[in-house]
Amino acid sequence: MKLGAGDYAHVVLQQGGIVPKGTRVEVFRQIFTVFLALGTLVGVVVVGYMVYNAYKYRDGDGRGDDPDAPRLGELPTGGGGGRKLFLSFGLSTIIVVSLIAWTYGTLLYVEENPPGEEGETTNIEVVGFRFGWEFVYPNGHSASTLRVPENETIRLSVTSDDVFHTFGVPDLRVKTDAIPGQTTDTWLRADETGTYEARCFELCGAGHSYMTAEVVVMEPDEYEAWYANTSGPNGNSNSSSAGDAPDGSSALGAPTGAPSVPAAASSLEVVA
Amino acid sequence: MTDENTKADGGVADATHGADHHHDLPDPGHVKRWLVTTNHKDIGVLYTITALFFLVFGGVLALLMRLQLWTPGVSLLEPLQYNQAVSAHGLLMIFWFLSPFAFGFANYVVPLQIGAKDLAFPRLNALSYWLYLFSGILMGVSFFQGGTFSGGWTMYAPLNLPVYTPNIGASTAVLALTMFTASVTVGSVNFLTTMHRMRAEGLTLRRMPLFTWTILLTTWMMLFAFAALLAALMILSADRLLGTTYFSATGHAGSLLWAHLFWFFGHPEVYIVFFPALGVMAECFQTFTGRRLVGRKWFIAAMVLVALQSFLVWMHHMFLTSINLQIKTLFMATTIGISLPFDLMVFALIYTTVKGKVRFTTPFLFSFGALMLFILGGITGVFLGAVVLDYEFRGTYWVVAHFHYVMVGGVTALVGGLYYWYPKMTGKMYDEFLGKVHFALYFVGFNLLYFPMFVAWETPRRDFVYPEVFVGWHQVATVGGFVLGASFLVMFYNLFVSLWRGEEADDNPWQYSTTTEWAIPSPPPLENFPGKPTFRDGSLKFLPGAGSRTGGTGGSVADGGEFTVEEATDGGASVSQAADTHAADEPESHASIWPFAIGVASFVLLFGLSGLQNASFPSGIEGGFYAALTVGGLVGGLAALVAMATEEFHALTGPFGESWPFEGVENTKLGVWIFLASDVVLFGAFVGSYAFIRVAEGWTNWHHLIPEAHVPLPGLINTYILLTSSFTVVLALVAAEKGSRWGLVGSLATTFVLGMAFLVNKALEWLHLFHVHTEAFPQGWNIGTNIASSTFYLTTGLHGLHVIAGLIVTLYLLVRAWNGAYLDDDRPVEYFGLYWHFVDIVWLFLFPLFYIL
Ligand code: HEM
Ligand SMILES: [Cu+2]
Ligand SMILES: [Cu+2]
Repeated sequence: MKLGAGDYAHVVLQQGGIVPKGTRVEVFRQIFTVFLALGTLVGVVVVGYMVYNAYKYRDGDGRGDDPDAPRLGELPTGGGGGRKLFLSFGLSTIIVVSLIAWTYGTLLYVEENPPGEEGETTNIEVVGFRFGWEFVYPNGHSASTLRVPENETIRLSVTSDDVFHTFGVPDLRVKTDAIPGQTTDTWLRADETGTYEARCFELCGAGHSYMTAEVVVMEPDEYEAWYANTSGPNGNSNSSSAGDAPDGSSALGAPTGAPSVPAAASSLEVVA
Repeated sequence: MTDENTKADGGVADATHGADHHHDLPDPGHVKRWLVTTNHKDIGVLYTITALFFLVFGGVLALLMRLQLWTPGVSLLEPLQYNQAVSAHGLLMIFWFLSPFAFGFANYVVPLQIGAKDLAFPRLNALSYWLYLFSGILMGVSFFQGGTFSGGWTMYAPLNLPVYTPNIGASTAVLALTMFTASVTVGSVNFLTTMHRMRAEGLTLRRMPLFTWTILLTTWMMLFAFAALLAALMILSADRLLGTTYFSATGHAGSLLWAHLFWFFGHPEVYIVFFPALGVMAECFQTFTGRRLVGRKWFIAAMVLVALQSFLVWMHHMFLTSINLQIKTLFMATTIGISLPFDLMVFALIYTTVKGKVRFTTPFLFSFGALMLFILGGITGVFLGAVVLDYEFRGTYWVVAHFHYVMVGGVTALVGGLYYWYPKMTGKMYDEFLGKVHFALYFVGFNLLYFPMFVAWETPRRDFVYPEVFVGWHQVATVGGFVLGASFLVMFYNLFVSLWRGEEADDNPWQYSTTTEWAIPSPPPLENFPGKPTFRDGSLKFLPGAGSRTGGTGGSVADGGEFTVEEATDGGASVSQAADTHAADEPESHASIWPFAIGVASFVLLFGLSGLQNASFPSGIEGGFYAALTVGGLVGGLAALVAMATEEFHALTGPFGESWPFEGVENTKLGVWIFLASDVVLFGAFVGSYAFIRVAEGWTNWHHLIPEAHVPLPGLINTYILLTSSFTVVLALVAAEKGSRWGLVGSLATTFVLGMAFLVNKALEWLHLFHVHTEAFPQGWNIGTNIASSTFYLTTGLHGLHVIAGLIVTLYLLVRAWNGAYLDDDRPVEYFGLYWHFVDIVWLFLFPLFYIL
């Protein structure tokens, strides 16, 4: 039995699987919420207990001197109370390990089995450069805006032309490193049309704060129409900034390749 | 370099002049005192003050960033200036403030806690300090060479190369960090030798006070982690200055190589900065609750576990790189594993307060606050351990908030330590009220500063453009930053004024403190103890006898915990007299100017080297300036090293009771061994880097990068030469044992000749390769020709430097042997032999790797 790409996640969720699945946004929201709730609870209990004890056993309430109190010059030894210690340690271990084990299911899902089906997915190449992004589509079309259809899993192969960058679209909760000479794979899936911002998350130089790109999520039909209109690398692409991306290998060793600081705004150009 | 110093410091006591008797140490009021002192307490004070200076330096940069972040976008700082601020802030705080701040206490307190009069190698201790100070000054200089390094404190490749960060100042910053690393390595060798060899009788490892325990584990981690960092920085320096191509952008895995090397160091570094804080917390919790630490045994076991495991988690910083799912899973597991022992430690501290008599003094408030902050930092860290969440948090303010809670949480404990030991270090009491004001401002400022960062976590890190919705939170954070900064003004005022107006502090101002430093005067006299400290009978006693200041009765603990050392506390002057009249054993030395001189020379040398580009200095005045500095620094440094080696200096020898497991290994020998252990990691990192890059390049493709002229023969000849020289070193030792002066001189001379032959052969080989003319290599096969040539020249070159260092020592031994030395004490020859055999063994690995495979 095959499920439609979009339905898959919903089915799992509705059937009450404990492992969060769905788009990255859904997965993140669920796990983050649980972590926040438990984290707050543990934090409040532990800090509260700590403050309570320190207050309760404050000095000066007339308790007598403990005959067994530590003395100057004694060899260090431990105080009692090991049982309680191991109890709390065991409890915290159980909480932490089960939380992580729980998210591990999602990790497997995110890494190996994203929603949508093999073959149906579009594979887009993302190339980071100082200071912008180039997106290359299967047909060779390249642009500085990422356009993707709604409700489809898009696979991204990310690399860099010069230094270490990190590609991320915060609102779609996708992020992966862009490393020169290496390719990292990830995927994204948006279930709402609209315009999002992609940006760099690894310090890469003067323009790092402005190293953004637009991500446009379109209706599938609209997307198809747009995509059909694009053609190969020399087509109507808007790869102006991509075109003059410095070639890392030629820049190397040649001080002339030293980057000049671009006007911050130049990398902000929006490509329609 | 270190090995020679180690050797020299072992107290080869037969040299000519020398007037370093401790009563020659000038008064604390004289500047000269602070330049020549080798006493651990003086150096502790120097470390503390210097570290606080760098806190202010890094703090000002932080406040500049906070001002920039008042609203999104460029305001105060230009983008590159902001990047410099963020990079220098991280580097200064982690390297030049946090660790050295802890090592101020380590220097001051650890010898007192273990009952040693000083560290094993006092001059090396001074050398650590001067290298630290001058490396920091060099870091400051880098700001004026076109701007300092701007690629973040993690210095990711290839942004760290001159193509992208072309300022000379960026090279200077890398060299400054290299120098700092040298300081740490020297210090680790020293502390490890001291703590393993020089504990008082009865103070077994298991019985060591907790602060000392944390420093022991910290220095072990430092020894290995900083060796990996040293390798990374040496390679980076070579890339920047000589033109090797390890980290260059495309074609091979240079970027990932840096990430591996850096984080192999970087994760242990997290614990390196945190452990001493944990030690301070443990001490303060015990003292101010009047209770012994709950589960002390398990607390220590947990720390040992963390220290070991810290070397197995580094790839959790690389979850977003191309590493595969299996590796991610493995490192997720080790990461969670390493977080659990901390739970135990936290609970142990909390349970220690139960049924105690908790006194909210300033040190306790800071320790208590630190624990709270650490709990918050720990909980938010678990979020990052869940890989799916980490995917989103990476590169955001979640990380910034988390590590500030953990690391500045550690700083909080150390500030507590400053108040805790201030009376001991100065003999004055600080003002308790102002201390509490400091804490209140600090704690409020801290949380105002960092908590909003969790809320505004979607702000990208190292970025000054952030979503408008977070403006309010960032403004709260900036206000908090200034409150935090202001709280330190209160502290500086308090501690400064108390030096003059503070009440005199008792020997033991804290009820229920137990450790040895509280059983002696505040501040302790130069010789620390009124007698020989021992725990033989289960608690501290000072035995009369050698080193006893009155030669009379020692102190002992009277019921009620007051220490009876009255006879001993009067008249500091009698210390030296007593020691002198007991001429039976030589008094220890406390002064030497040479560590300072070596520090200055290293500074000049590295300042000079920073001008290098592609292995040559720029032309013109500027180039001449840098070249002159390089030569001057090198010559001066060598001269100072020789002067230090020939200076007469009496260090403590130990053992004083407990030396497990090194009873039979003399201090200097242990020092050499420990140093070699770190050297193994250094070479390991170089060989690992070579293998990593070669695998990425295709193991067999590699041959295309190497000219035909690169044949095994020169390497094979050199293998024979080195093996023979190992043999002659053994002969030298045998001759020394037999008392044969000419046998010794002859064997050493042969060793020297063989070593020179090795270098000459290597030089000929290199010259030949530089000048090959083939179709594939029309310009010769130079250091920067390709990655194969880079790895070849750099790795075997590092080995060559070890040979050169060995030959300098050989020459030194030779001259002294000629004059009749080593016949009654052949240890220096033996220790040199250890080093030399090590260098030979390294070659046995390098030869097949670089000539045959
Ligand atoms: C006055 C108190 C401090 C303030 C206001 C402050 C503020 C900041 C700010 C704004 C950043 C930039 C974050 C980014 O853009 O990535 C930063 C980064 C950092 N801070 Fe602090 N900080 C303070 C104290 C400390 C201390 C005491 C330490 C360490 C002991 C520390 C360690 C770091 C590190 C390691 C970074 C990261 C730098 C990088 O990512 O390259 N900070 N801090
Ligand atoms: Cu960037
Ligand atoms: Cu780590």
